[in-house]
Amino acid sequence: MKHAIRKLSVVIGAVILLFAMAILTPTPLRAQHLDEFEQRMTEFTLDNGLKFLVLERHEAPVVSFHTYADVGSVNEVLGITGLAHLFEHMAFKGTKTIGTNDYEAEAKVLAKMDKIYDAIKAEQRKGPQADKSRLEELQKQFKQAQYEAQKYMVHDEYEEVYKHAGSAGFNAYTSFDATQYIVSLPSNKVELWMLMESDRFCNPVIREFYKERDVVMEERRLGIESQPQGRLIEEFLAVAYKAHPYGIHVIGHMSDIQTITRPEAEAFFKKYYGPANLTIAIVGDVNPQRIRTLAWKYFGRIPAAPKPEPVETVEPPQIGERRVTLEDPAQPFVVIGYHKPGINHPDDAVFDAITDIIAIGRTSRLYRSMVKEKKIAIVASAFQGLPGNKYPGLFLFYALPARGHTYQECEQAIYEEIEKLRAELVTAEELAKAKTRARASLIRQLDSNSGLAAQITFYEVVTGDWRNLFKQLDKIERVTAEDIQRVAKEYFTKKNRTVGVIETAGPEN
Amino acid sequence: MTDSGFSRIRIFLLLTGLLCCIASSCTQEITRPYESIKYPRLGDIEMPNVQKVTLSNGMRLFLVEDHELPLISVSARIRTGSIYEPAEKIGLASITGLVMRTGGTTSKTGDELDEQLESIAASVETGIGLNSGSASMSVLKEDIDTGLAILADVLMNPAFSEDKILLAKIQHRSSIARRNDNVGAIASREFEKLIYEPESVYARHTEYATIDNITRDDLIAFHKKFYKPNNVMLGVLGDFDTKQMITKIEKAFEKWEKADVQFPQVPEVQYEYRPTVNVVRKDDINQSNIYMGHIGGLMNDPDYFALVVMNRILGGGFTGRLFKNIRSREGLAYSVFGLYSSNYDFPGIFYVGCQTKSESTVYAIRAMTEEVKKMTESEVTDEELALAKESYLNSFVFNFDTKGEIVSRLMVYEYYGYPPDFLQKAKANIEKVTKADVLRVARKHLKPDKMQILAVGRPQDFDEPLSVFGTVNEIDITIPSPPPPKQ
Repeated sequence: MKHAIRKLSVVIGAVILLFAMAILTPTPLRAQHLDEFEQRMTEFTLDNGLKFLVLERHEAPVVSFHTYADVGSVNEVLGITGLAHLFEHMAFKGTKTIGTNDYEAEAKVLAKMDKIYDAIKAEQRKGPQADKSRLEELQKQFKQAQYEAQKYMVHDEYEEVYKHAGSAGFNAYTSFDATQYIVSLPSNKVELWMLMESDRFCNPVIREFYKERDVVMEERRLGIESQPQGRLIEEFLAVAYKAHPYGIHVIGHMSDIQTITRPEAEAFFKKYYGPANLTIAIVGDVNPQRIRTLAWKYFGRIPAAPKPEPVETVEPPQIGERRVTLEDPAQPFVVIGYHKPGINHPDDAVFDAITDIIAIGRTSRLYRSMVKEKKIAIVASAFQGLPGNKYPGLFLFYALPARGHTYQECEQAIYEEIEKLRAELVTAEELAKAKTRARASLIRQLDSNSGLAAQITFYEVVTGDWRNLFKQLDKIERVTAEDIQRVAKEYFTKKNRTVGVIETAGPEN
Repeated sequence: MTDSGFSRIRIFLLLTGLLCCIASSCTQEITRPYESIKYPRLGDIEMPNVQKVTLSNGMRLFLVEDHELPLISVSARIRTGSIYEPAEKIGLASITGLVMRTGGTTSKTGDELDEQLESIAASVETGIGLNSGSASMSVLKEDIDTGLAILADVLMNPAFSEDKILLAKIQHRSSIARRNDNVGAIASREFEKLIYEPESVYARHTEYATIDNITRDDLIAFHKKFYKPNNVMLGVLGDFDTKQMITKIEKAFEKWEKADVQFPQVPEVQYEYRPTVNVVRKDDINQSNIYMGHIGGLMNDPDYFALVVMNRILGGGFTGRLFKNIRSREGLAYSVFGLYSSNYDFPGIFYVGCQTKSESTVYAIRAMTEEVKKMTESEVTDEELALAKESYLNSFVFNFDTKGEIVSRLMVYEYYGYPPDFLQKAKANIEKVTKADVLRVARKHLKPDKMQILAVGRPQDFDEPLSVFGTVNEIDITIPSPPPPKQ
């Protein structure tokens, strides 16, 4: 009963996500593995700036492709929130030659639709003074144009081509930092992917846009509005950030999703999907020389474009505790976030060590004290990486109170654990365990093509070098108990924190 | 928020001497249509050598060497399950499965095991599900002796300490308290109860009272009944030498003695096809969760292969009819799904469903019903059949891309009494499926006029009352209060 398709899933703020993010959080590596990986890795950059990372892995005749677009919801402004994710959906709708039987004719109808839609918006803006009969007439025209456009469409062709070819895991996802497009294929289908993926970013056609907006509204209702923890996380981020776009959930505001236009999506694509803003990993049973040849042929045709500017807004230091309480029929929940620097700050590895010591496994401090001993929580954990890693994010603690216990008890217990980190040095055993587990967890991530492709693109783009997947381990090796105490004292302060809680209220028990 | 875009774009000519020179830009349509791509022959799939061994105490081993990474993992299957627990003690199997590990063994407490395993970045975990038990171990290869010793100890000598039983009960009671917070979980739980009957072993669930009834003696007895070496399969995968590994395992489990296991009778699923209309009121959401369908089938049904093809056409991923029509064409839902599910040893469920805004609930139910009807009314198109079959056959290689899935599939087939080459047989049979086969099995197995409908949401906001489909049964999901504490 759990087969619901979650295509193109936006990163939804809920506990499930929290776990997923925790897994994605950088993990370290060992020198011998790095050497071995260097030998299997081929890197090259096309003249237009598009970078390829090709990792040979000949275990089975399959290959995974991962396109990392360095654009996420963080690049949106008010009025178009949700557009990075909406565009991701549109990237499945085909190109000038795939998904259409007559692009020229189709383009004319699409342009006509844009015009009518503008007229509808202009009329609607008049509010109570809007001319109802004119609105009705426009809406009729719009429907008619929509119907007309269908005539030129070859529905779902882009998806069906991959499906025919035996694809697995064809999908995409949008986060605060990035938009990522993935697919795995039998390894004799490399050239097909080259054609399909290059055309997607060379000649995209934004079709079925207004229907897809409806789909994204349903996605918002599903992930945010109908889930208690989803509702809370959206509020929580809005409170934790007052300046930086990390404060607006990836899914976007409903009113923006309802009014974004197709030309706005096209403009977003032009600005953020230039080849210099894309990084591609190919991992599996491939010949790097052939990949290079095909990459030049297919991706080399994409015109160069300037790399867009990064977000310049900086979240100012927080000057007092912030808090949001959701009165909700659901059971209680508490999440506490502390602002921290981005992934490239030297303290990042210290936060990784802290995560291991307080939050991973049955011997971790939060589990031991809150779940096992005090028995006030059924889950108590912590992680970093939300909202993102590229810009300064949050270190988050959270707990699900056990039945009959309150969020207040859990919140207090979390503060006690934080106070311990500030007051005393962690033990040598705890630190040694964190380092051992960092090594092992890295090794355990090296056995899947798609997992490796995700990791190396992430490190390449966000830290500037895929090797940091491995070098991260050296940084953790150097973390001392004193570092942990210093970091806890510096960041885990009352004025630097935001607290979000669900307080059970209403008719349900 | 727009941008001058292409005005700043430099147009590049392609410079590669390796190819027939294709110089182009986005404005020049150079794309070869994908049909003209010639695919090289796919490389051979290297089938791992799975060694099957039965130890003298009856334990069956499946071993595969994999030297890519310095890791070893073990996964065990034990014939047991919550289907064998008494109705007044629902939760017993699950708690037994958990506390076997957390409650420690006769020689080491659970906390000591936690310390020992986590300090070497290893894990040993156990659990019991609906119709099988599991145990897993994962270690860096140098720690194999420690890992095996703990795994064996946990399977053979669990102590079931009272404090960890209490902890497991707290987890269960808290889950009960939280079970109406997630609308998707409400929908699938209540739908399963509609199909299998609420008291069926396949649909029933814990209540405060059934958790309260469980004692330590029950756990000990449940473990004793099923955990015998001749009732265990062990899959072993990783960086080891097979011969040495067999010796190690033999030694670790040498004190475990063979014994007969009696399995309680499980009532067969009886299903009467009937249309029903059901609603669960959930006031804090603005989207309905809809499930509709009836009983499904078994994988050993000769129709199974044509049903696989039918499933791909109706609900298969982004290219199935439901996705295309309910999501892409109509924009009614983000998530829409449909499957005639077949299980190994008890009937699955046929279901279609989606989540849609309250105001399109009835419209969506009608649209999905229409899709099911169409499957039974006319043959699928040649293109649909070709896509369903080709996608299955071309992606077949992904069944073999890790050694782990190969060994675990072999164990599953053996566990449920299916032939080891069941997957290859399925492939051969699926290649033969015709449009007529798909229509025949759809007519035989899908009953669009006898589907049970469930909507979880705010009926006051629905586009039309659900009663347009028949008499509406309102399901009360209020959680029964715990019984008063026993003295």
